[in-house]
Amino acid sequence: MKTLADLKKIREKAQEEMKLRGGSVRVKIVVGMGTSGIAMGAREVMKTFLEEISNRNLTDVLVTQTGEKGLSSMEPVVDLIEEGKAKVTYGNMNPDKVRKVVVEHIVNGRVVSDYVVATGD
Amino acid sequence: MQDISLHLLDIIENSVRARARNVKIRVIKDVGANLLRIIVEDDGSGMDSETLAMAQNPFYTSKAEREKKVGLGIPLFKQNAELSNGSFMMSSQPGFGTVLTVDFELNHIDRMPLGNLKATLLGAIVGHPEVDFHVILIHCDRGREHSFHFETAAIKEELGDIPLTYPDVIEYIDQSLNEGIQNTNMENV
Repeated sequence: MKTLADLKKIREKAQEEMKLRGGSVRVKIVVGMGTSGIAMGAREVMKTFLEEISNRNLTDVLVTQTGEKGLSSMEPVVDLIEEGKAKVTYGNMNPDKVRKVVVEHIVNGRVVSDYVVATGD
Repeated sequence: MQDISLHLLDIIENSVRARARNVKIRVIKDVGANLLRIIVEDDGSGMDSETLAMAQNPFYTSKAEREKKVGLGIPLFKQNAELSNGSFMMSSQPGFGTVLTVDFELNHIDRMPLGNLKATLLGAIVGHPEVDFHVILIHCDRGREHSFHFETAAIKEELGDIPLTYPDVIEYIDQSLNEGIQNTNMENV
């Protein structure tokens, strides 16, 4: 059974880590979760991002879900936002592409241009 | 949508879009009553009776900022419930919120599977840190009842400024939901 005491340990560990690296979020991932996104597999895209963050212990990445943004024909759509850089929008995503984006873009800092459908605001 | 959990995710996203701060999700499997019931209750902006009726029409959408002129989420969920001899009820009060109750006949041949409930709940909880979720799973089988309660407010309070997407937190929520889903026999439903 998981208890709130487990969370206290996690918090202490996380606070220690945040002190070391200054506490900022390096990458923000926004997964489009409108009706058409969900129908096209956005939930599995979200799930894979969470698995990768957990497995690779990526402590400076944030993931959120949002509604549709008018790119229905390219769903599932994912925005990657890094401080001081133009927003990158990936389209037609699936779990395999997510794993590649995590390794290439989030870990190694190289945009996976094959999957990009838009950049900037 | 291939399963009920995907519809559930779609409904939760509606609640979030209606600026809900609290979303209560109940999944009840009652073997004796041959019933699978999903209840989603939010304290979002709510709808007046006209909008409520319109929301069940596929050619209505509240998402006016987009070019899209259809809203299939609710009509499809309703259709899928009715296909399995179930029912779909939505009630709402502007300023107070919306309650949606969807029933399926548990052993109906045309009932879609419950699907990956954990992926729906984990994504919604972690993906909307501003919303407090209360998840209740209940399994009844002729007098025996198992239930699971999960409230994210207590977790967030314990975590302070540590985000829900912190790796160990994802794992914590994932495992908690997993245990709850197993204990209430909500796998392969």
